[in-house]
Amino acid sequence: MAFETPRLKQPRPWAWHRWALAAVPLLFLAVVLVAPAVRLMLEGGSADLWAPWQDSYLRGRLLWSLAQAAMTCGLVLLIGLPMGWVLARLDFPGRGLLLRGLMMPFVVPTLVAAMGVLALMGPRGLLAQWGGPDLQGTPWLLLFGNLFFNLCVLVRAAVDALSQVSAARVAAARSLGATPWRAFWRVEWPAIAPWLASALCLVFLYCFSGFGLALVLGGQAYATAEVEIYTLVAHELQLGQASVLSVWMLLLTGAVALGYAAVERRLATPARADGVSRRPARGVAQWSAVMVTVSVWMLVCAAPLIAIAHGAMFSGADAWGVLREDDTLLALYNTVQFSLLALVLATVLGVAHALAARRVLWLRTLVFLPFIVSPAMVAFGLLLLYPEASGSFGVLVAAYALLAYPFVAKSVASRLDSLPAHYMEAARSLGASPWRCFWRVTLPLLAPALRRGMAFAAATAVGEFAVSLFLSRPEWATLTTLIYQHLGKPGAVNLGAAQVLACVLMGLALLAFVLIEWPDKEGDARA
Amino acid sequence: MPHGIFSFLKTTLGAALLTAGLTAANAADLRVLTHSSFTVPKPLLAQFEKDNGVKLRITKGGDAGEMLNKLILTKANPIADVVYGIDNAFAPKALAAGVLDTSTAAAAGRKPAAELPAPLVPVDYGYVTLNYDKAWFAKNGVAVPKTLDDLTQPAYAKLLVVQNPATSSPGYAFLLSTIGAMGEDKAFDFWAKLRANGLKVAKGWTEAYYTEFSQNGGKHPIVVSYATSPAAEVFYSKTKLSEPPTASLSLPGAVFRQVEGVALVKGGKQRAAAEKFVEFMRSPAVQTAMQTDMWMYPAEAGVAKADAFRFAPEPTAFNAPSDADIAAKGSDWVARWTKVVLK
Repeated sequence: MAFETPRLKQPRPWAWHRWALAAVPLLFLAVVLVAPAVRLMLEGGSADLWAPWQDSYLRGRLLWSLAQAAMTCGLVLLIGLPMGWVLARLDFPGRGLLLRGLMMPFVVPTLVAAMGVLALMGPRGLLAQWGGPDLQGTPWLLLFGNLFFNLCVLVRAAVDALSQVSAARVAAARSLGATPWRAFWRVEWPAIAPWLASALCLVFLYCFSGFGLALVLGGQAYATAEVEIYTLVAHELQLGQASVLSVWMLLLTGAVALGYAAVERRLATPARADGVSRRPARGVAQWSAVMVTVSVWMLVCAAPLIAIAHGAMFSGADAWGVLREDDTLLALYNTVQFSLLALVLATVLGVAHALAARRVLWLRTLVFLPFIVSPAMVAFGLLLLYPEASGSFGVLVAAYALLAYPFVAKSVASRLDSLPAHYMEAARSLGASPWRCFWRVTLPLLAPALRRGMAFAAATAVGEFAVSLFLSRPEWATLTTLIYQHLGKPGAVNLGAAQVLACVLMGLALLAFVLIEWPDKEGDARA
Repeated sequence: MPHGIFSFLKTTLGAALLTAGLTAANAADLRVLTHSSFTVPKPLLAQFEKDNGVKLRITKGGDAGEMLNKLILTKANPIADVVYGIDNAFAPKALAAGVLDTSTAAAAGRKPAAELPAPLVPVDYGYVTLNYDKAWFAKNGVAVPKTLDDLTQPAYAKLLVVQNPATSSPGYAFLLSTIGAMGEDKAFDFWAKLRANGLKVAKGWTEAYYTEFSQNGGKHPIVVSYATSPAAEVFYSKTKLSEPPTASLSLPGAVFRQVEGVALVKGGKQRAAAEKFVEFMRSPAVQTAMQTDMWMYPAEAGVAKADAFRFAPEPTAFNAPSDADIAAKGSDWVARWTKVVLK
């Protein structure tokens, strides 16, 4: 595709302003992530680097982590690609809603999602009630949970990629007698494969280094290496073993992240003007495809959430009474406050990182550091390194921002890649200063991607799970911690209150998402 | 060299937080570290602040074991002045690590309803034991087990869920009770048989109780919980109940008496206020309120038990290894348990 867009002049990768930009996220990462993790490793002392592979238990954990991530990748590709095709090629009422609905899992706190999954597939779940098997205690529970959270990643990538496929080339293939299948395999597939590969890398990373979901759905038998690190650090204080294990996780995920960054850089071609346009769905085959897509969405993404809402609805007046409690109001206020502050910080960090990392592979890879490094290592490292700041407001906000900012950086970075260079060049040649050019040309072009990244970041911050690993203070309790508090006591009213609060949390996250992403003028799934 | 970097980072972060005015650590604050189940009514805490002219800065450090680890890790520069929530299962570890300091509060001298090794001052106690789902046993026509060994029989296959002692304090307590009753080797034989009989292991109490226990939609009708849990089930029931849907099952060898205490943190500040806090935790107001907040019995001898506890009979016997054994072998037992049950 290189012949499509000749690049006139590449900006020098390491001009001083790039260094200045890069310094912001790099310093942040160093202070709140790298230094604490390294400090904790030093505390643990030396341990044999090969120990995790020699111990059959730890080896099993590592291999299972790899296997469940790989299986999830297979599943999302199998299910997500056809869904993506339907959404990219066919127009039908509610299409936009469905595209946004796909994002719903992202706004659900992990434990709540796990409860939803169990309500579907547990012993008393719908599946069992309809004569299906009870999946509790099997690996399928974790795989379904992974699917629930990651299907949208692949579907959105597929939709974006398919809408960039050259309409002229597809039309040419068809007019030369290719069947739609053949046209797909010979024209569309090669064009979208890199996009899918990039999405799959991301899914792999999320699943491999994912923590909360594996902790709750994997159970003890299907715990991943990340869960093992958490146990070693928080409960057994075996810092040496934990460090070695996390070094291996870092190496393995680092390789995937590097691959991801490389694939994504190859995608750095400006968006095409002649994308294939959507046609209204017609005929039995097309409408069935739409129906199947909607059903899969219902089954995978919506059903667990509906199960929770259902639980909340029938939890009784006493459980709903939780909404009138002062603690709930405080938690709501705190959640909003933390999320807003974290969002501001995450946006600054994310934009700076994305701009600095253009065409710099290692910087791009560093965006994934917050996903890769075990939250338990960071939490305990922070405690060790900055005991006087432990549980302080600043550290908590920084922790939220740390976990939210990669979403902003990723989204902005991929939009930067597809930005047509000639807009900026035109502005510069008309005499605009670099700053003016950024402010008047680049930023408006980036806006949709920025909004999407911020929406993800906000949803992440609202329902954050890992922060509960940090020290929490009652006066800064958030909705998530309040849910845990209710789940920490026996009794139907406590369970009901947790479900009601989970619904509030979902609503809040959805609101954040809609407020930030909805006024999308392009009206499409671009960027 | 690395330490040079760290001190630089420390200064950077410290300065950033200070200039932002975000560090809440005030010199006049009394820093209290607790496990995450700590609940004392806000008005009582406010009254304490008013009476003693200090500001309480309560920090929740997770499960009891996790909280203690955080305390041990930050020993050189403690993150709290006083700690609540270390129980007799973790006391030996805390003592060995030398993170606690002796209290001179009057409460430390008053005879409590349940003892704890000094310098911990007992605040409350409860019993970790088996709970069962009454409806499940009635519906399936299975007799309630009479001994721990029954649980290794085919009739009780796949009925029991326990917490992982490596990640959960009730799980650890239950393991200790079996070792206390049977001795180490027999206890691990028993655990091996439980494993063969389809024992389910959950990470913590919440997972065991809310996702695995049949009362809440799981498929295991027997769970490790507290003797007071049935009372809480009535207290927090959706409809008014005249009897609890669950009952505790205090089989011999399956009961651990958990005594939770408060202590000063070695190297902490605010000694006077910390002593006041120790006394406060044993004050009648806290001892009364705490019962249906944390679902534990009061350690202060004269305090009346909550009405709700009529559904929570106190077990008459309980088992535990000696403190010295817990201190010396506690972590080895957990490692051995992981091998026998999980690996």
